Amino acid sequence: MTITRKALHRRSFLRGMGAAVGLPFLDAMVPAMAIARAAKPPLRMVFAYVPNGIIMEQWNPGYEGRLGELPRILKAMEPHRDDILMLGNLTHNSGRALLDGAGDHGRCSGSYLTGIQVKKTTVDIRAGVSCDQIVARHVADQARFPSLEVGMEDARQAGDCDSGYSCAYTNNLAWKSETQPLPPILNPRALFERLFGNGAILSPETRARQADYRRSILDFVGEDTRQLEATLGPTDRRKLDEYLSSIREVERQIERAEKTNAQFDPHMEKPYGVPADFAEHFKLMTDMITIAFQADLTRVVTFLMTREGTSRPYRELGIADGHHPCTHHQGKPELIEKVTQINTYHATQMAAWVAKLKSIREGEGRLLDNMMLVYGAGLSDGNRHLHEDLPTMLIGNGGGTVKTGRRIVYRRETPMCNLHLAMMERMGVHMEHFGDATGQLRFADLA
Amino acid sequence: MPFPVQAKPAVGIVFDSDLGNGVDAALALALLYGLEGKGEARLVSNSTTWSNLSSAAFADVLARFYSGPPPPAGARGFQRPLPPIGMAENSNLRGDTSVLDAVLEKQTADGLPVYPHGIHKLNDTADPAVLIRNALTAQYDANCVVVLAGPATNLVKVMDLDGALDLIRHKVKLLVMAAGAYPDGSAEFRVKTDVAAAKRLLAEWPTPMVAVGSEVGDGLPFPGSSIEEDFAWAPAHPIVDAYRAFEPMPYDAAVPSMAAVLYAVRPDGYFKLSAPGTIGVQEDGSTRFTPAADGRHRYLAIDPAQKEKVVRTYAELASAKPVPRQFGRGPNQKKNDEPPEPVKKP
Repeated sequence: MTITRKALHRRSFLRGMGAAVGLPFLDAMVPAMAIARAAKPPLRMVFAYVPNGIIMEQWNPGYEGRLGELPRILKAMEPHRDDILMLGNLTHNSGRALLDGAGDHGRCSGSYLTGIQVKKTTVDIRAGVSCDQIVARHVADQARFPSLEVGMEDARQAGDCDSGYSCAYTNNLAWKSETQPLPPILNPRALFERLFGNGAILSPETRARQADYRRSILDFVGEDTRQLEATLGPTDRRKLDEYLSSIREVERQIERAEKTNAQFDPHMEKPYGVPADFAEHFKLMTDMITIAFQADLTRVVTFLMTREGTSRPYRELGIADGHHPCTHHQGKPELIEKVTQINTYHATQMAAWVAKLKSIREGEGRLLDNMMLVYGAGLSDGNRHLHEDLPTMLIGNGGGTVKTGRRIVYRRETPMCNLHLAMMERMGVHMEHFGDATGQLRFADLA
Repeated sequence: MPFPVQAKPAVGIVFDSDLGNGVDAALALALLYGLEGKGEARLVSNSTTWSNLSSAAFADVLARFYSGPPPPAGARGFQRPLPPIGMAENSNLRGDTSVLDAVLEKQTADGLPVYPHGIHKLNDTADPAVLIRNALTAQYDANCVVVLAGPATNLVKVMDLDGALDLIRHKVKLLVMAAGAYPDGSAEFRVKTDVAAAKRLLAEWPTPMVAVGSEVGDGLPFPGSSIEEDFAWAPAHPIVDAYRAFEPMPYDAAVPSMAAVLYAVRPDGYFKLSAPGTIGVQEDGSTRFTPAADGRHRYLAIDPAQKEKVVRTYAELASAKPVPRQFGRGPNQKKNDEPPEPVKKP
């Protein structure tokens, strides 16, 4: 480890014209005197959401305790099982009808992080402050962005998306206030510019005009980079090089997507710059989330992989039927198989992301060690719209506060909000009550 | 043209009992399922203070039995899962009983359980307080009655949940408590088991309350002859096996909890009701009723003119054949609850 007399500030940026590139956690950021105190990297909280429930028979292992062989949907997660805590029987009662009739998709996504029974309306929407935003307020002064909201499909905020429930409920996870959802960023370029730009988001047309002569953002911060490199030891120089290379790679992917889209039919449903391929889009967005964590640009992320109730087809898998209609399989094996394939596909993308998070060194450990990444859904059985035993896995050991590698099945009806309370506590926010929580979910001290 | 007004559903019953301790609570549940089959009530939550998986398993056996046979394999459509059973984790009651053993250990000639159930571990059950709270959130205002047929242990835990007192105040129109003896009497088992909880429940429960004392249970016993005759339609019936295991046949069983359920669902025409007052609990678990015009408590009394009718109703409803589980779209579900047909795309 390189020891410098004067430590580099954790929130340093490489700056250039219209660009501000945060830095990863470098040895040079640890003051010599603090080494003995073993400075800890920050803890991050992520919610990655998949819609329309899961084929639970292929998600839940048939055992509790130490994780061994995982079911079909989670097969790709097997190499990461030591970093996974599977949680069973968590329930979102506020997602149930509770006298409000149809609309489970609208309710389950609206209540997922708010713990609130959302108002059934398409006009005067009302939910509650989501747990990620409660934490975001708490850490707002510790990172450039209090939170990032990322998505991959549909950011419409108006209209009826499910039996009288506003699209604001199905298309957002994060709620800053009872009436203010935070729409996810869907476009890779927009996310890139949010992370590294000066705040202005360019229109697609302007972007297209600039495409031919755009230089890498790294060119704009080249001077700062050279100056910094001169002060770093070899380990930090290598870390910085890898980090900047990952940013450049993301840039290239975005440019590729933009060029590819430009060659296609202008009426195609994907907006400009959004890769048509799900896996490609997923990788781009998660690569940028990863970079945001490396540079400590944010500590709170919500990631709506596709919106609740989506009828997106998965032609990548040869599935032309919409996701949602397939989930109402009514026991038909061929539809169950399609949903299983979609669920497996999502989990496979997640597994690749987890592998990346594990590969990045941070402090004395890995980036994933300082994360709590919840991967799950607001419905369990999409066929029957069940809100109990929600598919939920917590990935990463939360800075040593989560005992992973196990499956814990709680008592039936255990509130999902108990998990939120426990995660908020680890992020430094102590709350006595949240939603219908009855107390913090115990997962650090159970065998 | 006036629009038709959608009526409230039948009254929702939260049933919390010491199931397995004798046959009183089991028969009360059988009566409740009978009323549910007639569309007069809905069992919205079922929990036990008996901290023994066998008690929860017995509740699950009854839920399955009264749900009727499952749909044929490969049948299309929706079927709601069986409801969770709540079970107190650390109450003062926990032992095995002859009733529980008789039902749960009964086997076919092939060595299979006659009454299958799905309760094998603690996490197959629910925390009763959460279960009851969640059930209340799904009820129309003042369309729910709580029937307590056991110690008050679970109900005071409901009261402790954040926001629960308000919820109870809005959703519950009445608590019917089958415990104690009235207008005064010696310590009764259910009160004595958790005196502190009984005291708190009587002092702080925010709705009107009707107590059913042991004198009602003793004065209107369930006829043992009904077990031999009215239940004979079933080749194997968990209530029959429980009843036979509790005491040597023939005997008539004291059933205060049946009176509580019957009053909860059919408040008129079966019993008399005391004037308002306040029920106090002594340290030894004995109860005493003090009349008071502004009191929130009353107690149930036997109406001699209705004795025969009450006992006949007990027998008819408790022995009624199960109404098969709903399969497919329910009558109260809106059309858009129906799943869409898969979209066929080229």
